[in-house]
Amino acid sequence: MSDSHARENTPILHARGLGKQVDSGERRLDILTGLDLDVFPGESVAILGSSGAGKSTLLGLLAGLDTPTSGELMLFGKSLSSLDEDGRAQLRAGHVGFVFQNFQLLPTLTALENVLLPLELTPGKDHQARGRDWLERVGLGERLGHLPKQLSGGEQQRVAVARAFVTEPALVFADEPTGNLDRTTGRKVIDLLFALNREAGTTLVLVTHDHHLARRCQRCLQLDGGRLVELDRDEVEA
Amino acid sequence: MTGHARRDDIFRLSLKGLRRDLRASDVRALFVALALAVAASTMIGFFLDRLDRGLTRQASQLMGGDIKLEQDEPFDAELRRQLEQAGLTLADQVDLVSMASHGDAFQLASLKVVGDAYPLYGQVHVDQGQGVVQVPNGPARGKVWIAPRLAQLLNVSIGQEIQVGQVSLAVSGLIEREPDQSAGFGSFNPRLMMHVDDLDATDLIRPGSRVEFELLAKGSPEAVESVQGLLSRLQAEGIEVEDVREDRPQLGSALERAEKYLSLAGLAAVLLAGVAVAMATRRYVDRHLDTAALLRCFGASQRQLARLFALQLLWLALASATVGALLGLAGQAGLLALLMQFLPMELPPPGWLPLLMGVLTAVAVLIGFAGPTLLRLKQVSALKVLRRELDPLPASAWLVIGVASLVFGGLLWLYSGDLQLSLGLLAGGLVALVVLWGLGWLLLGGVLRLAGRWSNGQGGGAQALRLGARQLARRRQASLGQLLAFAVTFAAMAIITLVRGDLLTTWQAQLPQDTPNYFAINIQPAERDGFIDILDDAVDSRSALYPMVRGRITAINGQPPRDVVPEEHRGDNSLRRELNLTWQEDIPEGNRIVAGEWFGPEAGVGYAGGAQTVPISMESGLAGRLGMGLGDTLTFAIGSQNVTGEIMSLRDLDWDSFRPNFFVVFPPGVLERFGHSYITAFHLDRESGGQVLGELVSAYPGVSLINVEAILGRVRELLSQVTRAVEFVLAFVLLAGVSVLYAALTASHSLRTHESGLLRVFGAGDRLISRVQGVEFALLGFTSGLMGALLAELAAAGVYVGWLDLVPRIHWMMWLVLPLGGALLIGVIGHALSRGVRRQTPMASLGLLGEA
Repeated sequence: MSDSHARENTPILHARGLGKQVDSGERRLDILTGLDLDVFPGESVAILGSSGAGKSTLLGLLAGLDTPTSGELMLFGKSLSSLDEDGRAQLRAGHVGFVFQNFQLLPTLTALENVLLPLELTPGKDHQARGRDWLERVGLGERLGHLPKQLSGGEQQRVAVARAFVTEPALVFADEPTGNLDRTTGRKVIDLLFALNREAGTTLVLVTHDHHLARRCQRCLQLDGGRLVELDRDEVEA
Repeated sequence: MTGHARRDDIFRLSLKGLRRDLRASDVRALFVALALAVAASTMIGFFLDRLDRGLTRQASQLMGGDIKLEQDEPFDAELRRQLEQAGLTLADQVDLVSMASHGDAFQLASLKVVGDAYPLYGQVHVDQGQGVVQVPNGPARGKVWIAPRLAQLLNVSIGQEIQVGQVSLAVSGLIEREPDQSAGFGSFNPRLMMHVDDLDATDLIRPGSRVEFELLAKGSPEAVESVQGLLSRLQAEGIEVEDVREDRPQLGSALERAEKYLSLAGLAAVLLAGVAVAMATRRYVDRHLDTAALLRCFGASQRQLARLFALQLLWLALASATVGALLGLAGQAGLLALLMQFLPMELPPPGWLPLLMGVLTAVAVLIGFAGPTLLRLKQVSALKVLRRELDPLPASAWLVIGVASLVFGGLLWLYSGDLQLSLGLLAGGLVALVVLWGLGWLLLGGVLRLAGRWSNGQGGGAQALRLGARQLARRRQASLGQLLAFAVTFAAMAIITLVRGDLLTTWQAQLPQDTPNYFAINIQPAERDGFIDILDDAVDSRSALYPMVRGRITAINGQPPRDVVPEEHRGDNSLRRELNLTWQEDIPEGNRIVAGEWFGPEAGVGYAGGAQTVPISMESGLAGRLGMGLGDTLTFAIGSQNVTGEIMSLRDLDWDSFRPNFFVVFPPGVLERFGHSYITAFHLDRESGGQVLGELVSAYPGVSLINVEAILGRVRELLSQVTRAVEFVLAFVLLAGVSVLYAALTASHSLRTHESGLLRVFGAGDRLISRVQGVEFALLGFTSGLMGALLAELAAAGVYVGWLDLVPRIHWMMWLVLPLGGALLIGVIGHALSRGVRRQTPMASLGLLGEA
């Protein structure tokens, strides 16, 4: 086995027997049970599931925002269970980007300042230039100083996309990125997301209930009964 | 791979974050509230600090120097050398009483013999023929300056000569005011000031003549401190020593109360600002929960978040403290300008201490009132970006109140220097808060029930009342918080206003229009009835006529006074000079018995002299200084006899009253056998007065008339200046109150935006939403006003009794003004501030909630 082959086969994200239980009144609810997943560098993976299937819970676990009840999870080759909350945060810093359904832009910050926010946690001098560059790449070069409320929903999500890529992360999580957008706008944002993903060679994990969207990923996984089932891309109904 | 955020990155990020944050209304509210707290506390701190130092200087001026030594023979050169070596500037002065004459006119005069260094402090106001001017020296050799009354009595004018002892001196000035005019009414003879070089030629200093030699010294506090040992030694040798730091005359009661009022107002402003900070912080934290969660997502650690927000707020505190301190500096200049006329002209420059205290106040207020709430930011979970409901639990109300109380108590202690008072106020405040919480709950329920009952109709007004009351009820917890904040605000504003009003009334009552402006002394028994007849026809008011006998205290409980009196009061004037004694059947007007009982009218009947004791009444302050109480005896030497009195009652009296006041009062039947004269005080109109005075002077040339109009005028002026200062400070407190309203309304902004958006979606028109919001704010304001009135009434009573020494009373108007005014104020301000909310489309107002 050559070195390069070994590196390609080292998953960026590796889950075995992942489980998550929550207390709901007197009952314990199993949201995820014995879930396995490997995501390799440069891949784009869609996780499909109906409403309430536990997609957001899974995303939270994969990104290290939450801790599993059972199982093993490794991000960038490090076991998350061995890290505390701060350790997990440190692991994310500069290496993971996020796109949220509800954009999560801070209302008092301009478009540029919102994009700069993750950069500001890391040292470096050309932050401003990088922020401008990424906003230009998402077509908002003229709107740098606008506050979120002065932007349309699609524009806001483009700012969020620029923010996700500005640190040049190895891995981007997207949680229903078109959920709050109309179809045409949503499609434009998704085109942008995939284009940038290709250009930057980033790994993308996308959570959605939209089959159209899922089909554009290299792999599609269905979350069902707390486990992931790999779908053939052609099986995903349009 | 980029490294982890370094220290200076957080530093930079915090500065950047604050700059961006200034766009948010809650941060502006925090800024305004903190700046106001600092402005109020530094303004008052600066002012009181300068006033205190200025008063010490003024006291030096009144005393004539920082140290005053007095004995009945000249001071030797060795002592002078020692004092001068310590860095003190010296001035000699000799006081004696002697006859002055001009032609056929003779008059006893009170001589003040001064050297070239006179006066060490201040200037003499003297008319040298061209109107009154201020000069920094005394008369030259061969000249005298005399009081206008002496000029009148001797019928002499500037340029003419008068005879003093064996020498003839030219009158070159009429003295309007001396800087060291501390003699009061002790020296009844008119002033004659001359140069020390002329003293020998007068031949007035002979063995046995009653002369006081004074050595006055001026110097830095360090220099004064360095001669303390020497001074104690001199004191032991029998030289009378006065040190300005110990013998500084107490502030007049008016100024003392004003000082206390200013401190109280400063603390009220700090408390109000604290409440505003607490409210603004809630909104600040709510808004930053998302920022914190996002930063967690992007990889920030808890520690970094804590540092980030702590630094951000530290910058805010420093920036607002700077602005506040500058405002405070300007404010104290304003305060000073208002009070300038009666303060010594050269007040020392502002010190640094108040500035430090200001910054400390800002940081303390921020930590105390915002700290516990801010901890929430640290606890935020990164998962919140996916699941909005994952907000950390709000800080416990009791924790917030507990920490805020501790910090405020600390500030109270720092400012008042009185631990017991601070603890008492704090404990009282906390108990009041618990009671208020419960009371607020009941009151809000009651008002809402009433509103529900009145809103059964179908009209627009009834509908708005119903909806407004329901909105308030739905957010009962939040409303209760606002209710308490508003109630405390209204109460603080009301207390400061009430206290101001009552202070002014008290001050005005203290010096009514017909306050005596003349004293007549030395009225002989035979002249008494005739004098009174002329007087009563001409004046609107006069005090009773008091007989006066002079006596010296020779024994206390049969022992020499020096052996019994507490050490620090052995030099008390009452032991060194003759006291004015009187007899009265009844308690003198304006006096209050504070211990024991007034002797009956017959108590002195049958007094035969000798060792027999008679009951007497003593002024409580003097009794305290001499360490005496009920049952103790005092022996007076009057003429060649001794009279012993047993203290039967202690009296409080008002020394600022411009009436004759006596330390010791005897019953009738005891002192009549000694030589005595009468004293009275009366009010004479400036216009019609001249004729009556002329009549009195020519009919009774032996009676001395003393005009105290000038002193009275200065006291009146002082009161009106202090009043203006008090009003100036009141304005600051009211501003701080408005900052609370602003902060509170900012805090509930997003919730109201959402509500009005929903109402509009459900079909409510502009008019209805506007009315509903108006009603909601007005109901809140009304209830807060009711509670504020209760709180203010209780607190004012406490402040009056415990601090300002005024009699408490119920303020009925306040119970009307606060609820109605509160409804109007909160209704109008709240309504106006939510105008922006009403203007938003429902899309915008509902969408905003999703992003915020």
